[in-house]
Amino acid sequence: MKTRLSTLSFLGLFALFLATSCSEDEDIVLGAEDYHSAVDKVTEIMVHDIFSPPVASRIYAYPNIAAYEILAQSEAGLPSLAGRVRELGSVPQAKDTANLNPRLAALIAHMEVSKALIFSEDRMTSYQDSLYALWGKTNKKQFEASKAHAMVVVNHIKQWMDGDFYKQTRTMPKFSVNTDDPSRWQPTPPAYMDGIEPHWSKIRPFAIDSAAQFKPLPPPAFSLEKESDFYKELQEVYDISNRITAEGDSSEEIAIARFWDCNPYVSVVRGHLMLATKKITPGAHWIGITKIAARKTNSDFNKTVTAYTQTSIAIFDAFISCWDEKYRSNLIRPETLINQHIDDSWEPVLQTPPFPEYTSGHSVVSGAASEALTDLFGDNFTFDDDTELPYGLPMRSFTSFRAAAQEAAISRMYGGIHYRAAVEVGVDQGQSLGKLVVSKLNITN
Amino acid sequence: MDFSNNLLPDQDISILDYLYYYNGGGVAIGDINNDSLPDIFFTANQGPNQLYLNKGDLEFENVSETAGVEGKSSWNTGSVMADVNGDGWLDIYVCAVVGIQGFRGHNELYINQKDGTFKEESARYGLDHDSYSSSAAFFDFDLDGDLDLYLLNHAVHTQESFGRVDLREERIYETGDKLLRNDDGRFTDISEEAGIYGGINAYGLGLTVSDFNKDGYPDLYVGNDFHEDDYFYINNGDGTFTESLRDYFGHSSRFSMGNDAADLNYDGRPDLISLDMLPESEKALKSTEGDDNIQTQRMRIEQFGYHYQFTRNMLFVNQEKGGFLETALSSGVAATDWSWGALFADYNLDGKQDLFISNGIPQRPNDLDFIRFVSNDQIKNKIDNTRIIDQEALDLMPDGYVENYVFEGQEAFQFADRSSDWLPKGAKVSNSAAWADLDRDGDLDLVTNNLNEAASLYINTGKKKGNFLALQLQGTGMNQWGIGAQVTAYINGKAHYRELFPNRGFQASSEPRLFFGLGEATQVDSVQIVWPGGDLQKLRAQKAGQHLVVRYNPTGKLPSAKPTKAPLFQLQGDQLGIAFTHKEDNYSHFNREKLIPYSVSDRGPALVQADFNQDGKKDILFGGSKFFPPQLFMENDSAFSAAEVPAALAADSIQEWVSLVAEDFDANGQVDIIAGSGGADFFGKAPALKDSYYQQSDSTFTKSELADYFSNTSVLLSADIDDDGDVDLWVGNQTNTGRFGLPAESYLLLNNGGRFSIAQRFSFDGMPTAAVDLGRDRNDKPAGIVVVGEWMAPKKYVWDGNKLKEEEDFDGPRGLWQSVAVLDFDQDGDEDFLLGNWGTNTKFKASEEEPLKLFTADFDDNGQTEAITGISKDGKYYPITGLDDLGSQMVSLRKKYTSYTAFAGQSISDILGKEALKKATIWEVDELRSGILKNNNGRYEFVPFDWPMQLSPIMDMLVYDFDGDQQYEVLMGGNYFGVKPYQGRFDSFPGALWKAPGNYQLGSSLGLDWQQKSLRHLRRLEKNGASYILAVFNNAAAEVYKIDNNKQP
Repeated sequence: MKTRLSTLSFLGLFALFLATSCSEDEDIVLGAEDYHSAVDKVTEIMVHDIFSPPVASRIYAYPNIAAYEILAQSEAGLPSLAGRVRELGSVPQAKDTANLNPRLAALIAHMEVSKALIFSEDRMTSYQDSLYALWGKTNKKQFEASKAHAMVVVNHIKQWMDGDFYKQTRTMPKFSVNTDDPSRWQPTPPAYMDGIEPHWSKIRPFAIDSAAQFKPLPPPAFSLEKESDFYKELQEVYDISNRITAEGDSSEEIAIARFWDCNPYVSVVRGHLMLATKKITPGAHWIGITKIAARKTNSDFNKTVTAYTQTSIAIFDAFISCWDEKYRSNLIRPETLINQHIDDSWEPVLQTPPFPEYTSGHSVVSGAASEALTDLFGDNFTFDDDTELPYGLPMRSFTSFRAAAQEAAISRMYGGIHYRAAVEVGVDQGQSLGKLVVSKLNITN
Repeated sequence: MDFSNNLLPDQDISILDYLYYYNGGGVAIGDINNDSLPDIFFTANQGPNQLYLNKGDLEFENVSETAGVEGKSSWNTGSVMADVNGDGWLDIYVCAVVGIQGFRGHNELYINQKDGTFKEESARYGLDHDSYSSSAAFFDFDLDGDLDLYLLNHAVHTQESFGRVDLREERIYETGDKLLRNDDGRFTDISEEAGIYGGINAYGLGLTVSDFNKDGYPDLYVGNDFHEDDYFYINNGDGTFTESLRDYFGHSSRFSMGNDAADLNYDGRPDLISLDMLPESEKALKSTEGDDNIQTQRMRIEQFGYHYQFTRNMLFVNQEKGGFLETALSSGVAATDWSWGALFADYNLDGKQDLFISNGIPQRPNDLDFIRFVSNDQIKNKIDNTRIIDQEALDLMPDGYVENYVFEGQEAFQFADRSSDWLPKGAKVSNSAAWADLDRDGDLDLVTNNLNEAASLYINTGKKKGNFLALQLQGTGMNQWGIGAQVTAYINGKAHYRELFPNRGFQASSEPRLFFGLGEATQVDSVQIVWPGGDLQKLRAQKAGQHLVVRYNPTGKLPSAKPTKAPLFQLQGDQLGIAFTHKEDNYSHFNREKLIPYSVSDRGPALVQADFNQDGKKDILFGGSKFFPPQLFMENDSAFSAAEVPAALAADSIQEWVSLVAEDFDANGQVDIIAGSGGADFFGKAPALKDSYYQQSDSTFTKSELADYFSNTSVLLSADIDDDGDVDLWVGNQTNTGRFGLPAESYLLLNNGGRFSIAQRFSFDGMPTAAVDLGRDRNDKPAGIVVVGEWMAPKKYVWDGNKLKEEEDFDGPRGLWQSVAVLDFDQDGDEDFLLGNWGTNTKFKASEEEPLKLFTADFDDNGQTEAITGISKDGKYYPITGLDDLGSQMVSLRKKYTSYTAFAGQSISDILGKEALKKATIWEVDELRSGILKNNNGRYEFVPFDWPMQLSPIMDMLVYDFDGDQQYEVLMGGNYFGVKPYQGRFDSFPGALWKAPGNYQLGSSLGLDWQQKSLRHLRRLEKNGASYILAVFNNAAAEVYKIDNNKQP
């Protein structure tokens, strides 16, 4: 090829003609890395824009489904999700199949659906523009046919997405603080933010029947009697925190807590000076692990998209299930109770996130995501997790996805933001949900 | 003069390290060489401090080095001049921050050596404090003749939770304020025994000394930044103080900075301003962190125990009885951006106090884009771990250089912004400020200590100035300068009152003289001086234009106050047995409808007086809020007693009753009850929203059907509207839950043998709140009804034989009307209407030219309407809410505006787009003042009430001859709390007894204790031959007052 071009270049105009026609014949070749990088871009914009963990899970899921559905149209091994996830109809067939590049269409659809979901569209647009220019140059017909199809699918997905009750939940009442009830969640320092997404359980799930399908047992009965199970769990949070804080930076537990902090918005107040430190969400961390696993197994484009799709669906449903319980039990955070009853100057290792305690979101989501990934890549899958490196946190290594999930869960106790029940019950809740998602989707054979 | 307080960039410190890095230096003005010219001393944060001798003709000489006052502390703050050792020569006290960031040194006391030099002797006097001082005041708190010291310190507390309110009771040396008693030249810390708080939480930035309660003993107002409350210390006269903020102030500024006191209304009582940091410009307003979240505020108050605080300047009017009236919004001084020092003085010598405010900040650390999008871990780590400056990071905060403000004082606590006329242009950061007559032309000049640029001398060159009289006092003993003297100059019958407390204006002290503006008067008719301790001295008429020196030469003692007459209204301790306390439920309307301008969920309780048991006595039924049962009080021979509520009514406790009527609707000789349900919580066709009808027969109440509607009822008016001999019902519905800003239908229900049917429907552009029946006219025909409401003009309807017909000539402004009463106040034979409105002490603005607007539509097609309130600024309408609130409802706005800077300054039509606005229902208000709709033979004219009646919404009015003068008066009560922290809290209206325009008395002077309470109803009771008033409040106990007009039989 190279030789031929250099030969032809002697022939002036003719060469130009041939070079052009030659490039039209050239396929736009996309690999798994192209998809990883698009997902990373979405993560980066989400960190900038600041989305709460449930909302972030939604921003991951729909773009992946759009991409997956396009691939499923042409890949026999990939069954469509239509009929497997709630209310999704078959995506329209492409008009120009001759020039269609399904991977390209899938990637474009991913970016376009993402763009609809994040706030800072300009950041996505500038990323897209350079790719579109390149693809347009490489093979205009293929690019245009693929884009045209992608946009049809994007519209189809958007219409479906529009029915998930997200818009309506924006208008629903805020969580009402009532400090007369000693067990009821109330806003926590330092920002004392309102409880976020009190109506997330009303969002249409993908795979589970209803938000309450994996309704966990209620938390231990609230009591400030020292002998009660609840109080013992409260005391345990305080004791662990004191022990590991005394150990300081050498504490493995503190390292674990920080590694899994995944708080998209940590407020810092110094007098009139206010700051926020921003990190990825729990869901985003598991999306990061998905990338690591896909890369480690040299997964191709299709497998990569499948992995992101299954994992992000599990995470999405996990948040719905978890939030359903959070605003059912409305349980108060350890920080509030410890400050009120044990030690008024105690601060948790991690900043308490702004929503009720039970069950732990990180535990449920990690449980669900780890099941999705185990199904995709097998159990006993060892990996080095460097997802948090950009946020200044060192790599940690795990022997399996489930082991990582267990650590993510217990990290919330070390962080001083959850009681034991929320963590242990939460992982179970997530794992059961994850298994159901895998079997409902049934796309990984 | 070339002084400039330059922050040294090469030192390893910034706003990241020290929260008050930008608070600036101090300035103190006084005559240090007794040549009768005021000299100027400046502190520079990082030194050296500078002293400038006034050589006359505005020539100044820097004598700092020879004077020996440059100072040794690492971080200097406020400075004040005072004659600490009582030798007749002014000394200088310099505050310092010591012990953080490696700051060394201590507060310094420069004792005047009378030869142009000073000796630093703080240790000898016990004033070498090495703590976090911001300012200080020398004054004789115990009236023992020498000057004591209040030392104002500030916290640097970085704990991220609010912390317990009782942290203030644990003394911390570095951060706690101190009261230091002068014991023969040695200052003893008596803070603990004197009742002065000294905790870790008090960010003391403002300090005013003034005899607020006029008992001769100076009191203190301490402004604390952040969540710690300000402190109002009443001097008990026995060496102790009592912190009494809550008793006198309904709320205070939140980020309190400087404060100042002066008598603004010639009543001899010092009024007060406390500064905050609310920006005036839309751009800064919408791009910086603003008010508290309402739920956070509630927690801070109810759970942590702090008082109400709001982010804006507060102007407090001192009353002889009762608490302070807070008027900043109606006075026009609420928003002056990042404000440091306030200085009242009569700058234009017209006889009225004006107001100067210094302000500005080099970088706005509360910029929302910085907080959300720019700041990062890197900066946070620096704060936590290092003291390395990262100028690049700091530069990402926008600057807050703004022009200083000056306001011209006018009548009735109005201030007119004269900044652009009276001050030279130039945005800068001016921290401390002080006044003095530098050029001895009789008017006051101003000096500000600026950050990173030369200090400003504002020489007063105004052309249209009045005459002046200035006094320098020569006191006695250790108080040679007469600090604490109270001087009243009588000019044309007006008492101009001043106190000689030179420390004022934030980290500063002004010239220790008293300045009076005379306007056109050419003399002061007389002067009364009350020296500290109560010695009285009187001066006869004094010609204008003098700097007068008055030596201590008392002619007597201040006579003790005359015993005051018993007030007209006397609180009945036993409430006549009406032991009713209304409890509002926990629901917040703002949680459901997040953008609404005010709540509709707190309009109860309902109240009706009727003879329920046919014993000829009028009983009282109160409605409860959601889930709280109604309460019944039966009248007996001597009083009232609580009685069991009839079962049918108690069964409906789920309802929130906002309105009640009781009449014998079915004409069976027994009184029936209709209850209007509201609360704005239940929605859709929730049965609890239906109004209830309870018919009584055989002394038992049974529930009957009324009509099918599911609105939040606000008005039930019973009258024989169709003139057929039975009692009909007019139902005013305020809103449908979730549909704020769209009409809810109101109804005429006609009675047919005790059954009601909807005979007429009314759809208002607004929300009815009250109605009054006009009785019968001269021809014994029904005279009609008048309906008032929010966003609507008052309306009058007359029965035309077929329906209620609106009277076209009845014409009044659209308001946020809350109450209505009828009285022919001008006795011209026709009925005038007294209308209670929202008042002007609010961030709402309304006029006929630029009405307040409410835009309502489902702008983003999410199935839910958004009600967006717009205020006009320069002809454009801006939302009262910021991007966070709007964006949480309309997510598309977060895509449209990806930064707060982009959003700030956008008008409502920019934000929503002209197309979307087209589908909006628009309601308007063109009058916020309460007043009289005066009937001039059928033509109506609106005449507003006097200023105190505009401080709060007026919620009810009662017409009666209260004082027994054979004339009717109107008793008004008000206040309303159903607003977000954006508005604050309308809590300081004490009620008023109104007789005619300009003729009124405030309730506080009549024995009514209505401040900090939100009134709903006023009723009159007759019992045992005496007259009483019953005052019913939302979420508080009802009160009964006996009317004691000494004219009762």
